[in-house]
This record gives sequence, structure tokens and C-alpha cells, in this order.
Amino acid sequence: MSEEILKALTQLFAIITKQDGGVTENERQFVINFFQSELDRDSIKEYLELYDNFSGYTRQGTADEEEKNKLTSVKDSIKTLGICKKINKTLTQKQKVIVLIKLLELVNSDKHFTPQRLEIINTVSTVFNIIKETYKFIETFVISEKIEELNFADILIADSSTTKSADLQKHAHVHIEGSLAFMRVRSVDMYFTKYLGDQSNSLNGFIMQPNRVYLFSHGSTIKTQEGVALYYSDLVGDFNEEIQTTKLSFNAKIDEFKFPNGAVGLRDVVVSEGAGKLIGIMGASGAGKTTLLLVLAGLEKPSKGNILINGFDIHTEKKKIQGVIGFVSQDDLLIEELTVYQNLYYNAKLCFANFTEKQLHQRVTQVLGNLGLDQRKDLKVGSVLDKQISGGQRKRLNIALELIREPAILFLDEPTSGLSSRDSENVIDLLKELSLRGKLIFVVIHQPSSDIFKMFDKMIIMDTGGYPSYYGNPAQAVTYFKKVTHQVDSNRGQCETCGNINPEQIFNIIEAKVVDEYGQPTNKRKVTPPQWYEMYSKQFKINRLENVKEQPPVALYIPTKIKQAAIFIQRDFLAKLSDKQYLLINLLEAPLLALILAFIIKYKSAPGGKEYIFRFNENIPAFLLMSIIVALFMGLTVSAEEIIRDRKILKRESFLNLSWNSYLLSKLTILFLLSAIQTFMFVIVSSLILEIHGITLAFWLVLFTTSCFANVLGLNISSAFNSAVTVYVLIPLLLIPQMILSGLLFNFEKLNNLISTKGKVPIVADLMATRWAYEAIATYQFINNDYESAYYEYEKAEAQADYKAAYLADELQRRNRFVLEHYETQDDSIRKLVSRNLKIIRDVITEEPIKSGLETINLDRDLTVDKYSKKIGELLSDYLGKYRSYYQKVYNDNVSLTEKKMTFYEKKGVNILEGKNRDYNESLSDLVRNVTTKNRLIEYEGKLIQQINPVFQDPKTEGLFNYRTAFFLPEKNLLGKVVSTFIFDIVVIWMMTLTLYITLYFEWLRKLIESFSKVHLPVRMT
Amino acid sequence: MEILYIEGTEETPKIIFDKQKGTFEISGRSLTEAPSEFYKLVLKWIVAYSKDPNPATHCTFKLEYINTESAKSILDVLSAFEQIKDMKVTWYFHEDDEDMEEVGEEFSELVEIPFEFITY
Repeated sequence: MSEEILKALTQLFAIITKQDGGVTENERQFVINFFQSELDRDSIKEYLELYDNFSGYTRQGTADEEEKNKLTSVKDSIKTLGICKKINKTLTQKQKVIVLIKLLELVNSDKHFTPQRLEIINTVSTVFNIIKETYKFIETFVISEKIEELNFADILIADSSTTKSADLQKHAHVHIEGSLAFMRVRSVDMYFTKYLGDQSNSLNGFIMQPNRVYLFSHGSTIKTQEGVALYYSDLVGDFNEEIQTTKLSFNAKIDEFKFPNGAVGLRDVVVSEGAGKLIGIMGASGAGKTTLLLVLAGLEKPSKGNILINGFDIHTEKKKIQGVIGFVSQDDLLIEELTVYQNLYYNAKLCFANFTEKQLHQRVTQVLGNLGLDQRKDLKVGSVLDKQISGGQRKRLNIALELIREPAILFLDEPTSGLSSRDSENVIDLLKELSLRGKLIFVVIHQPSSDIFKMFDKMIIMDTGGYPSYYGNPAQAVTYFKKVTHQVDSNRGQCETCGNINPEQIFNIIEAKVVDEYGQPTNKRKVTPPQWYEMYSKQFKINRLENVKEQPPVALYIPTKIKQAAIFIQRDFLAKLSDKQYLLINLLEAPLLALILAFIIKYKSAPGGKEYIFRFNENIPAFLLMSIIVALFMGLTVSAEEIIRDRKILKRESFLNLSWNSYLLSKLTILFLLSAIQTFMFVIVSSLILEIHGITLAFWLVLFTTSCFANVLGLNISSAFNSAVTVYVLIPLLLIPQMILSGLLFNFEKLNNLISTKGKVPIVADLMATRWAYEAIATYQFINNDYESAYYEYEKAEAQADYKAAYLADELQRRNRFVLEHYETQDDSIRKLVSRNLKIIRDVITEEPIKSGLETINLDRDLTVDKYSKKIGELLSDYLGKYRSYYQKVYNDNVSLTEKKMTFYEKKGVNILEGKNRDYNESLSDLVRNVTTKNRLIEYEGKLIQQINPVFQDPKTEGLFNYRTAFFLPEKNLLGKVVSTFIFDIVVIWMMTLTLYITLYFEWLRKLIESFSKVHLPVRMT
Repeated sequence: MEILYIEGTEETPKIIFDKQKGTFEISGRSLTEAPSEFYKLVLKWIVAYSKDPNPATHCTFKLEYINTESAKSILDVLSAFEQIKDMKVTWYFHEDDEDMEEVGEEFSELVEIPFEFITY
């Protein structure tokens, strides 16, 4: 108390007591007592003199002043006003209530109540802004000596009678002579007590004078003569309606908890609590505090034992207790790119679907105010390195995120670590307030100050090895440990003059070391953890709370899955928008890569090297592959970190039981949007530079599809691995096979025999998105470019006829000759060859529509080694000759049709050469027509396979699900229907994307990796 | 701004607050049991006035007698005047009435307004 205030108080005392008859000895003694409690011996004299002066104690007896009595009191009243004004500026409302009670007690000390005196005290209370009803209530409490007179709802009487003495008051049954009265001053949330009776009870170890009013502060204990203890928390609970109406029971019986590596983390811990309790968990480091908290919160499963909330098992009946538990871990669980307000707002939005925007705003603002963050609400949270708000503010925001939904049971892991003592006190104050509203709160706390320590209702003290060593009232903890170690003065848990408890003392006793003969402390403990535990199990019988048979209270209203997704999208979108670097890099990456790539591969390609012509740019096939790789790479990098970054936030939100699907969909929406923009910019920039015409939309669709596939692939690895570094190391592993098996770099025909199938794309390559994407865009460009599309059909027929006339007819003829020469041989190996050749001829002719000249023979019967004859051979030879000339004619017809069409266009004024230069690319055409192959057709596994002109071939129909064809075929079979390769391939990539989404949804990859790591690397918890 | 005029009674003082003329006067006796009711109007007027006050304001107090309850209300009035710049108070008291002089002195110590004491 400052000198100024003490002077002001002295004056107030004096002014009041000098009214109506002046100071009595009792009153003066009261003032002296007051000074004694506030001042040192020397100053008492000084202040007493001051008091005597003001009150006229020395001039006592001169009664002639009585006459002017009335106006003197006006002057005193004004003086009082002045003093109170001064006090108003410095004291808090709580302190002012104490001053008021002191004034009332002063007058009460001699029961000399006169209108003037009360008038002045009344003035004081008005200036202090204490409302009239409250003042009357306090006055009654101080003055009254009969409990029947204390008929208020905020009065609690504790005595040995079984009934209340007045209707409104509350009552508690205690073995005590006389009565203890408790008053709650609601406006400031303070409790006062006084004792009416003849026993000597003690309050926090100090004797209570009868009929004196004492502040009953946090953690106070009253002990009656019989030794019954009344704890602050119990009494507050009696006062509090909310605690009484909250139906909550928490029964944990952890017989044993083992870490994955087999070490025992907890033994025989029993916790049984109800609503409205603030419970601290303390212990030396490594004693298992955090483990206990995790197990209690249901984040770790005890090896033996269970945890019941209102009778519902925390592990097996999760649905019933959804949203009941809140957990604030030591980690930062903030979205760094959002502001303080936004972090809270979106969190609240996910918890309270039933709130309007206004209510949400109010709730957020209120929580921010409660935690002293209202001034910082528009600051970005920032990363740990790029700090925008202080460490304490981060901590408080983390707590706010859980507080906002007010879970019925809240677990906090060292909420005060790293906070200033003032901030710590604020945080615990807030938790206390919450507990008084009916919440059950568990807090792991480290080195609490005396004030904080006393605020807890109960303290669980853990010792090394997971042994419990104390469970009960914090103020009694020091006494307990002193007593069991037979220390002197074991009854005094707190400092006699200041009432402070030093929690460090507890650990000094628990961990006291044996001293060797030289007086050096050894490593051996005086009392080992099992010994403490033995004492504990004798001393503490924890009464198991009756399980409440009711659904626990939940203030949670989770939005629908669609709404959740919308909220996630909004939140993620805002976060990404506010991260300027991220945005800039991601939006510039694509056009920049396009610029570099296109610029480098654009050269004077025209024959003669004078200018750039698209048709002769030999880099186009490689460019298309690079574009696909770029799309894949961008898609992967943008998504690979997404879930890792959010993992901590997901952990927090896991208590809300939000939809994982909604979360993933929100991620996909944003990533797909980004991919769409990136690939679009890439396509536009590169097409402009390289003068690619007519395929913009298709090109974009292919790249976008690839990028989306990469997005989902990236999310998969992001959800499976724990660090971003691992993920980035993994990216080449995913990308390189995609490049190898894209179909361009290495010919599918020339791969390792183990994987390749001639005439068909290898199955491993079918697993690569690049192969599909490349085929899609290459065939699309060739078939659908403005030049080729006009002649494609003719050229296709032309190419097919040419193949049959020029290659197939000759090949068959050659084989027929071989058969003719050798069909009568007895040599087994040659017979085999004959039979094989016959089968090939048979197969080709069976599929052939033209069969004229063969009507006389049965193909299946006669074209076998047994039935073959010279006659049949010659017939076949004739047929093949006709076959050849027929297809030569078909070829010639189509060539002339093409020429006619060209002439027709030329007449119409179309410059065909110009169109070809613009739209047609020679290199790409060579690629899809496979002109470089040495063998136009090969024999593979008893079949003739056409190698040339894949883009002019038709797919063979072989069963409903056989999709496999050679590379660059223009069409494919999709469930019996023929569709264009472009559409088919895009559908395939989307199917792959969908499959990846399913593995992501079930987190198969993560589970797989976890099952590996479980075997080798046990994870340790501290 | 409207003129505030309240006729004095046995228990309440007479009040004239006139912005145009620059007259501010409280006189008579204040003995009412419920002074806060009575002074509420006065305080309201001053708050309105303080938003657009005259360059200088000079208020005259000519009180014969006040009771304890009124003291707080009068302090409230003075405190309200405190917000106005170039404020001045003239405290009239009867030459025999030491008490009212002392009351005025007490008030002058509580607010930061220059007081001038004049007997009548």
C-alpha cells in the first residue's frame, strides 16, 4: 500500500471516528491493529500521530464543538469526497471493497453506529461506485452478529446444524462450534468470512478473531479446533450454481502405462474429479507429467486401466464424448499466415455452426479481451523466426483457441512456460474463472509462484518413474511432505508473515539426497520413488466419484461437412493470400519456366535457317514432355508440404472430430485452383513464344490434369511423412520414373525384357501419369491440328492399305513359300516352324475382310500342318497376290482423294503450305508415325505386330477390360466403346487421381510407413 | 443553446445557466434528500455545454447552506466544470458564515478551478 493511500485511509478513519462523540479506545485500538498489519514499528507511531491529529483524539472532551456539529459534517463529507477521489485513482475495485469493509469494521469495533458516521461511509461507497444493494449487503454482513439476519443468496453459513437459519442463504454442514459465515461479493468475485462463536479456528494457520471479517482468498483453508479443514475450492463450489448443475464425472484408473519401447511411464494413478475443479500436475522433469496428461486426455492409451467420462470410456466410446475434451499442448498450433483474430475466428466458426456472424465476432472479441489480446488482434501471427507477436501472446492465443469453445474438460501442458509472472497469473486466473463456471481443468505446471500454486483446487505430484506421490490440496502439500519426513514446524505450510507457499520446498524434500561422510550430496535419494509411493498409497484414499449417467455437457455445434469444407477453404485461401512470398513464387513460377523453356528451344528452324517455322522445330516433342514434367513438378512441390504444415493444427482440431474428407476437399479445391492458374499461364506463355496454334485448350487440359494428379500424389506423401525435408528428398524418386517411362526418352519397345511387351505399352509405364499425358497431347496435336484434321481420315486409310500392300502381303507370301517348301518334312523343329507360320497366316486372314478366292477352303481346318497341301499353298499364294493389288488400289484411291481435297482447298484460296507450316510439326509427326523404326513389322509371340504408323492404326477389340494398345494409337477401347486416345488418357489420369485420393483419405501410405517404423524405431515420449 | 433556469425552493437552489449572456449562477440552499435526482439535469446541461463552451466561463456560487448529500452532487457539478477551459468560480459567502467559507475552501482544493472568495 502506498504512503499516499495509507495517509488517505488514516484520514478516512479519523473523519469517521471523530463524528458523533469522537474516538473511543476500542476504535483507536482497531486503527492501531490495522497499522500493525500494514506497517513497520517505527512508522506506526507516525501514522498514529497523524490519525490522532485528524480525529482530534488529543483534544477529546471539549464538548463545545457539538453545536456546529451539522455543518462540520458537511465539511468532513467534502473532505471524504476528496480522499475517495484520490483513492479511486489508484485502488482496484477489489481493494476498494476491502477498504469499505475496514471502515465498517472500524465503526463496528465499538458498535457506535450513528447516522453521521454511516452517512460518511455511505458517501465513500457511492464514490467508490459500489452499488447500493451491495453496500447494504456488505454492511449487514459486517455488523450483524446473528446468522438469521444474514438472509442473502450470497451468504453461506457453515455450522453443525442440519438446516438453514434463513431462506435465501446457503448452508454447509460442518462439525464446528458456533458458525462460520461466508460472503461472496459477486461484483468483484471475492469471498469474505467471519466466525461467530467461541472456538479458536485458524485461517491459513492464523487464529481467527470472533466477529472479525477476513478475506477468504484463493487457496485459503480454515481449520477448526477439531481439525476439520474447510477448503476454498469446496466452499466456492457450494456457492456456485453452475458447478452444481454441471453433470460431470471424470474417473481415471491407470494401472500401468508403457511406452512403445517397453519402459513404464505411469503406475497406478487414480484420478477422480467432478465439475468445477482446477487441478495441477507437478513433478520433476521426466516424472511423467506430460504422459499423465496425454493419457488422461485420451491421446495415449493406458496399457492397463481405463478413463471414464460420465461413465463413457474415452477410447471405446469416442462418439459419446465428442467435443468434451480440450487439449492445449506445449507446441504452437497457430496458422502463421493469419492474424490473431482470424486464427480464433475460423476456429470458432468450426465449433459453432449455430452462431451468427455477429455472435461469432462477439465470442472472439470476448475471448481476446479475456486473454489480453484485443490490442494485438490484427497482427499476423508470423512464424517463430519472424515474430510479429510476443511469445507470451502466442501462448495465450494457443490457449484461446481451445478456450473459445469451452470444452467441459480442458487439459493444458505447461500453459505458463515462457510467460512473465504477470502473464502466468492472468492465464491461471482465467482458468480458475473457467473452473468456477463448471469446467474441469488439468494443468501441468512447472515452478508455479505461490499465488498460482494456491489457486489450484488440487495438486497431483508425480515422482520419477511415473509414481504418484501426492494427491490433494496444494496448501497441504508442503505440510504433508514435512510431516512424513519428520521435519520441525511441519504444521506451517506457508510463510507466517506473507502467507506465501514455496512449492520448491516440496521438490527439495522429495528429491533430497543422501549425504556422504564428507558432507557431499550423493546421487542416492533419501526416499526413493517407490517409497514415496508406498506412503502415498497409505495416506491417500481417493474416493471414486459416482459416474454421472448422463451425456457430458458440450457447447459444440459442428457445421455440416460441406460447410466445414467451405470454412477450411476460406481459411486456407486467406492464409495463402497473406503469404506474399508463397503467392509470388507460385504465380511467377509457371510463366517464368515457360519463358525460359520456350525461349531456349526456339531457333531458326526453317530449311535454310532464315526464320522460325513451327513445322520444322525439332524440339516440339521434347518440349511437350518438359511441359508435362513442369506441370508434375509444380503440382508436387505446391502440395508436398501442405499437410505437414497443417499437422499440428489438425492435431488440435482432432478433438472437434471434424471431417477429414472436408479438410482434404478444401485442400484439393485450393490446390486445383492454383494448378489451373499455373498451367494456364504456362500454356499461354509457351504457346505464344513457340507459335503453337489450335491446341491451347487441350494442352491446358492435359497439363492441368497432370498437375492435379501431382497435387494428390503430393498430399499423399505429405500426409505420410513427418518432415518437409523427407518429402522434398522423395520428390526425385517420384519424378524420375515418370520421366523414364514417359515413352519419349526411352522407346517402350527397347526396355528390359522383364517389363516390356512388344506392341503394347508396358504395364509399369501404364502406372505413370506422364505416359498417358504425353500420349494424349502428342496424338491430339497430330490428329487435330488445323492442317492434318482435314486429311487425317484419308491418310489413315492410305497408311493402312500401304502397310498391307507393301509389307503384310509380302511377309505372308514369304511365310507361305516356307510352308510350301517344308510342309512334308519329318524334322520336328521345322514342323514346328511350319505350324507357327501357318498359324500366323491363318490369324491374319481370319481378321481380314477380303476373302475372295478362299471360299473353297476352311481356314481353321485346312491351314494346319496335317491338312496343308500343295494345292492349298498355291491357292493361298494366288489369294495373296490379289490381296496385294487390291490394297494397292485402295492406297492409290486415298492418295488421289487427298490430292483432290488439297486442290479443292487451294481453289478456295487456302494456302496449304502456309497452313502446314503453322499447324503441323514434322518431328512430332515422325514420332507418332514411328518412321524411324527399322522393322516395319515384327513377329512376337506368334503374332505379327505392326511397328510403323501407330497413329494410323485401329485398336483391336479383345475383351471388355483390355485397354492395352501400342503407344500413340489414335483410339482406344473403353468398356467396348471406341474413344479417342486423348479423352481415354485424360480419364485414366483422373482415375489415378481418384485412386490416390482414396489412399489419401484412408492414409494407407502413412499407415504403411508407421507399421515399418514401429518395428525399428520406438518413439519415446517425455 | 437553451437556457437552464430552475427556480429555487426551500430545499433546492436556484439555477441560471445562460450561454448567450454568459451567466452561470447557483444560489440558495441545497438540503434535498435526493440531490442526485435534482442535479442530474444540471450535469446534463454542463456536459452539453462543454462540447461548445464560451471562450471563458465564470460561475457564481452563492450558497447559504448545504447538507452532506448535496456536497457530493456539488462536487460533481464542479468536476464537470473542470473539463471546460478558462473556467473560473466565484464563491460568495456571508461575512459571518465561516462554515460556508471553509466549505468553499474544501471544494477549491478538490478541483483544479481557480476560486475567488467574496463576502456579501
